[in-house]
Amino acid sequence: MEGLIPESLDEALEALSERKFIPIAGGTDLMVRYKRWKNLPPSFPSLPLFIGHIAELSGIEKKDDEIVIKAATLLSEIEQSPLVPSILRKAISQMAAPGIRNMGTIGGNIVNSSPAGDTLPPLYVLDAKVVLLSKNERRCLFIYDFITGPGKNQRRDDELLYEVRFKVPKHTHEMYRKVGTRKANALSKLSVAALASSRDGKIDDFRIGFGAVAPTPVRVKSIEEKVKSRHVSELSDDFINEIVNEYGEWIKPIDDQRSTALYRKTVALRLLRAFLLQLKPV
Amino acid sequence: MGDISKPVRRFDAPEKIMGTARYVDDYFEEEMLFVRIVRSTRPRARIKSIKLPKLPSGYCVVDKNDVPGENRIKMIFDDWPFFAEDVVNFYGEPILAIAGPDREKVYELSNAVKIEYEDIPPIYTIEESEENKRPPIFGENNLFADYFYEKGDPDGAFRDADQIVEEEFRTGFQEHIYLEPQGMIAKYEDGRITVFGSMQCPYYVKNALIKAFGFPEDRIRVVQTTTGGGFGGKEEYPSQIAGIAAFCAYKTGKTVKLVYDRAEDVEFTTKRHPSRIRIKGAIKDKRVVGIEVDIALNAGAYAGLSSVVLQRAMFAATGAYRIDNVRVLGKAFATNIVPLGAFRGFGAPQAIFAIETFMNHVAKKMGEDPVRFKLAHRYKKGDTTATGGLLRSEVRLPEITEKIIEMSEYYEKKKQKEKDGKLYGIGFSMFLHGCGFTGNGEEVLKSIARLKKRKDDKVEILISNVEMGQGPQTTLRKVVAQVLGIPMEDVIYENPDTDKVPDSGPTVASRTAMIVGGLLYRVAKELKEKWKEGEEVVVEKQYRHPEYIKWDQSTFKGDAYPEYSWGANVIEVEVDPLTYEIEVKKAYAVFDLGTPLDKKIIEGQIHGGMLQGIGYATLEVMEFENGRFKQRTITDYIIPTAMDAPLFETDLVVEPYKNGPFGAKCAGELTLVGAAPAVCAAVEDALGINLYEIPIRPEKLLVLMNKEDN
Ligand SMILES: Cc1cc2nc3c(=O)[nH]c(=O)nc-3n(C[C@H](O)[C@H](O)[C@H](O)COP(=O)(O)OP(=O)(O)OC[C@H]3O[C@@H](n4cnc5c(N)ncnc54)[C@H](O)[C@@H]3O)c2cc1C
Repeated sequence: MEGLIPESLDEALEALSERKFIPIAGGTDLMVRYKRWKNLPPSFPSLPLFIGHIAELSGIEKKDDEIVIKAATLLSEIEQSPLVPSILRKAISQMAAPGIRNMGTIGGNIVNSSPAGDTLPPLYVLDAKVVLLSKNERRCLFIYDFITGPGKNQRRDDELLYEVRFKVPKHTHEMYRKVGTRKANALSKLSVAALASSRDGKIDDFRIGFGAVAPTPVRVKSIEEKVKSRHVSELSDDFINEIVNEYGEWIKPIDDQRSTALYRKTVALRLLRAFLLQLKPV
Repeated sequence: MGDISKPVRRFDAPEKIMGTARYVDDYFEEEMLFVRIVRSTRPRARIKSIKLPKLPSGYCVVDKNDVPGENRIKMIFDDWPFFAEDVVNFYGEPILAIAGPDREKVYELSNAVKIEYEDIPPIYTIEESEENKRPPIFGENNLFADYFYEKGDPDGAFRDADQIVEEEFRTGFQEHIYLEPQGMIAKYEDGRITVFGSMQCPYYVKNALIKAFGFPEDRIRVVQTTTGGGFGGKEEYPSQIAGIAAFCAYKTGKTVKLVYDRAEDVEFTTKRHPSRIRIKGAIKDKRVVGIEVDIALNAGAYAGLSSVVLQRAMFAATGAYRIDNVRVLGKAFATNIVPLGAFRGFGAPQAIFAIETFMNHVAKKMGEDPVRFKLAHRYKKGDTTATGGLLRSEVRLPEITEKIIEMSEYYEKKKQKEKDGKLYGIGFSMFLHGCGFTGNGEEVLKSIARLKKRKDDKVEILISNVEMGQGPQTTLRKVVAQVLGIPMEDVIYENPDTDKVPDSGPTVASRTAMIVGGLLYRVAKELKEKWKEGEEVVVEKQYRHPEYIKWDQSTFKGDAYPEYSWGANVIEVEVDPLTYEIEVKKAYAVFDLGTPLDKKIIEGQIHGGMLQGIGYATLEVMEFENGRFKQRTITDYIIPTAMDAPLFETDLVVEPYKNGPFGAKCAGELTLVGAAPAVCAAVEDALGINLYEIPIRPEKLLVLMNKEDN
């Protein structure tokens, strides 16, 4: 098998400016996607560019009020980093199994842009931004603007995902639930990541993201606005029903080999309802 | 004499742990050819034309015209071809194979074969096969087997019943997912075909090749390579692969390797038969006094072993219960699905799931505790079985039940409804398993076992049974060494080679320890008498059923099995009230499998068998849609991982079988059959509903609970 192993980020970007490559970080998505028959190497649609070893693409740091995670940082490092908010760590700790988490990267999960990518719902609710680099340009987009469809995103062929960054939220309530096909090495039937904060009975923050229930992860800010700035005493059954119904319009899952559309939708909305009920005073 | 049950280090453990064991795919030779099968991409069709790519030199195509003898895999009906002839009957059926020196090229060429089909209306389900509205696949009515037996006066029992309860149960497909995919290496040298590979039954493969080549038996040799799991999946199916590899070797004169990719193995090899089981019970004075069990198996495209799987299901139809008036009907239906085949339990898991769940439901209806209700119906020594066989040994179900109830604190926990915010449930099952081949199987087999004492005073075990992870390399050595009073290290037991070993039958039906081990035990006794230091002594014996066993294969009357093992399981589950995800928290088991030949190995069988049964009941979903399985990779076909395994607590009760070695009975399949009904009972307990189908998916529970709410 042929491929390019650049020594630095610059060399990688230089190579990408000249021709099309398929970047490979951990390869845990790509090796499976392009596998053919036993004992044959996978057949990639273009020449592989190995980036997993590039030091500039790895690491987690706090910059001002932001956490910055470089694209090729291993899932297992993020899982263990005290800098990283628990909602993302929880999601990662339920991905795959330790062996895959020691190979797979956050950049791979983002650029793979699968509706079932488990880092995505937490990154959506964290309002994460992705930074893309090409030889001559640096672009910064919100993750929800970056991802456009199942396996589709705004990355150009000459770009690498460089880092993902977000502010650490100051929330009082948090929920992460992955409903998978089993407890380990399982893809999501659906997942829900939610954050909220209520102070003196006032809900000043409310964000919720759903995975594997539509072509891209679902986050609907207009509905979040309706919950925000309410007083917890206003979370009546009617109001909760209304919110649940509104999300129901956005949650459009499919039947597939892992689950059914009915199950995905019903359970996603049940988890939403459970989170709203958590905000209510006992 | 040591205690035979005391665990020793397994003989096959070091090489497997260190990675030095060589599996079929680890063997390479210069000039070896690789084979890839070109398969049907239609569930049912007539082949109109085949267009081959231009083949470079050194590459060849092998198809039905290259079968020197008969293009039929020898089994029971011999209807299954190695290569499709004019018609394909399932998606993935082999049509031809391409052999060549470079895998890449073989792959490319095999993808370039163009086949034109004319579709024939396919039949997928038991119902479609039963209706018989489309051209039949087999015979005139799609039935590979259609059986029936009776005991007592079932019609009378239904006439006089206080109440009649009728229920219908469904079970799904199950795929084996052994660690090592199937594969064979074949050679043609000096007029002889030799096949090496992963298998459970070297003589099945040998007999299949004799028929396929039309060769006398001394021109066929079959050697087992270290086998990474079988679970029944390597009972009949290896003959298919061995045949194709051998035809390629015969045509090219080269050594040929045909090893399946995992995806091929998941989609195109045999699986457990889905079933529909209808049970009708006649209830009198709160007891089941009459029963009719109607079993339908979806058997797939070719008969394979389905008729015998159906028999085992039918003989297990009343479970561990004495019911005096019995009618059991059974049919195996042809469909356009990959042939369904042997899988640990062989029909019994379907039947035991149905009868156990039925008994739970009837107990609930009668307002009785299911454990007590079942105990009231249980078999006792001296009872006759459903087929009218005599239970000659003590049936220690009361002791088994007492132990498991105490160990699991069943009644205490039964009161519990919630735990850590989850819905909590506990379930119990009680069951039996017939040891050895079904019906007249052992009589037909007439297994031979041989011991050869060499001049160096070491003893070779010469049998055709294989180690596939279940432990005979260790347990059979222990048996022979113990009888002879020599160290286990002085007993040699190689992977069988049909040139060297007699036919001691297949490694199936939980028969290796009890039947073959029992035979070896008697051979060893005789060898001990004939022992001459420094000289070679060979002793051989043929298996004979005990004189008292009576069986009529034409009426299914008498002793369906020479002996039975017994067991009870208790399972605790927690069900998430929002998502209906089922977590199996604890699994308890008490078995009477006779004398354990090694307690650690038995413990391994219990954990593995029960986990496979738990998977069967919950996670292992395989759906057939539009002619193909929806779950056809190990990403999508879900078996339990270590994270999904419950905590196990197990114990044994020992009622020895006098013809088993040191009193051993059967163990391998017994450990699987009771798990699914116990899981089902636990989920029913947690949710307060009745269930009729496995696998129990959260998706299904959601629908059922929504109905319940409305
Ligand atoms: C057994 C198993 C279990 C799994 N379980 C889960 C799970 O539970 N949840 C889940 O979400 N995923 C799961 N996955 C999928 C996979 O492991 C993750 O998506 C992982 O994060 C991918 O990272 P990677 O570095 O291996 O990606 P790669 O395979 O290297 O790449 C994935 C994609 O991203 C592109 N890419 C990678 N890095 C960059 C970059 N810096 N710039 C531009 N493009 C880039 C590649 O070109 C490719 O298109 C599983 C995979 C396996 C094999």
